[in-house]
Amino acid sequence: MLHCLRSPEDFAAIGRPETMKWLHQPQKFQQPSFHSKSFGFSQSSQIDDLNSVLREIPNRSMKAENSWDNGLPGLGDFPTAGTDFRGHGMGFELPEIAGSSLEMDHSISRTSSCPLPDLGAATSVDGRELAGRNSVKKRKAEVALTEECKDQKIKRDEEEEESKIEEKHSEISPNASKVSGSPKPDYIHVRARRGQATDSHSLAERARREKISKKMKYLQDLVPGCNKITGKAGMLDEIINYVQSLQRQVEFLSLKLATMNPRTDFNLDTFLGKEFPAYVAAGFPTAAASSEMANLPFLQFQPVPQGITSCELHMPIDPPQSALQMTTSSSTSVPEMFTNSTSFSQVQPFTTWDTDLQSLYTGEFQ
Amino acid sequence: MTSNRVFFNTSSRKARCARRFLQSLLRIRQRRPGSLSSEEVRQRSRRIKMAAYSSMACTVGSRRAWSRAIIFRLQSRAGRHGRMRRRCLGVKKKPSREMSQADRLRDLVPGGEALDFCNLLEETAHYIKCLSSQVEIMKSIADIYCRS
Repeated sequence: MLHCLRSPEDFAAIGRPETMKWLHQPQKFQQPSFHSKSFGFSQSSQIDDLNSVLREIPNRSMKAENSWDNGLPGLGDFPTAGTDFRGHGMGFELPEIAGSSLEMDHSISRTSSCPLPDLGAATSVDGRELAGRNSVKKRKAEVALTEECKDQKIKRDEEEEESKIEEKHSEISPNASKVSGSPKPDYIHVRARRGQATDSHSLAERARREKISKKMKYLQDLVPGCNKITGKAGMLDEIINYVQSLQRQVEFLSLKLATMNPRTDFNLDTFLGKEFPAYVAAGFPTAAASSEMANLPFLQFQPVPQGITSCELHMPIDPPQSALQMTTSSSTSVPEMFTNSTSFSQVQPFTTWDTDLQSLYTGEFQ
Repeated sequence: MTSNRVFFNTSSRKARCARRFLQSLLRIRQRRPGSLSSEEVRQRSRRIKMAAYSSMACTVGSRRAWSRAIIFRLQSRAGRHGRMRRRCLGVKKKPSREMSQADRLRDLVPGGEALDFCNLLEETAHYIKCLSSQVEIMKSIADIYCRS
């Protein structure tokens, strides 16, 4: 879908997502009080405003979507970026909806900015103007980036409208602590949560903290027994202990392996086959092969002559054949079958020898 | 002939790691076949431990900072036998009380000294995953030995 949207000429393709977006509207409108909480919008008023904007969407979406593709692939990576952009949180599950939600939010934001003068609402949306620093770009979720990119692109494309709105922002909101006077072309607009500082430093800090908490959650899943522990310090202690215990286990196991005496018929293939029966590739009867492989170590300790080991090496190659040949084996259990097959294979070379010798003798004597 | 390939699928990361580890284990055993003196056993266990870490790191490759650090450490250790070790021993002289948790983690995870906290957590997660799979491999090998 994205690829179609890239070309502005693809109106047909655009039409489809547009309908999708419009269908998804109702979802969108629930969320975003994060936009509007600053304005104290009610949902109904949002919808009214949005309806007016929706007609403008087709015009703007074209240009917006050009810059989407950069951001959207990143969406999957930041399911929790919705914490910063609660409005977007919902949309992340489905990329299309997310894309549409981005689009919608973008338009929402622009529309909501229009009634600003009417409401006279002072808002933290003006945090948008604040974070005009590129360093924030790196910390913020791609969502913000795409919005910013879209902002920039659309600014360049549509010039006056956005700048007007931003100017209105700067004029109208006296509470905006740090508002830059003139809208610069490379603005970073960041959504700030209600009641939180909109300083670029604190925003960056917040992004960093959220990244860290996301990684801590992932670590919590990895380290067993960490579910009850909350708090960074306790978690870190657990992690440190776990890593130490794993390293100690490696040391202990290496000592154990060093003291063990290997069998003389140590065979790499048998070990791997035994250890990873799941990894045995599907080939000839896989189940049979793996179970027979599993029984090899048992066989190696039965009182069979050493000469059998060479046979055993070849055994795995044609277990099914030997199994088929072992119609004489009465037992159905695999180990016994295998035992029989080993004895059979032990006998086999001799029998072939014997037959050869016999044929020689008979040939000679004839 | 495809019969050899029937038995294990080496494209799996764990199987590759196990295979590498077993090969180095074989090499270590072949050097000195079953000596029982404690010093030799200790030396062999140290070699086996290094083989475990190297097989773990080689399977991961240079994708991760910790694997790169292990590979670098092993290569430099191979080059200069005693010098690197002595130098490494002298590095961490801070009393443990002053070390923050992040510093302790940096000590544990190879290559963690140069990482910021965020990347350190990521490396720790990957390191834990690989280390636990390596422990599983070693446990199963020891089990196979035990059954003999």
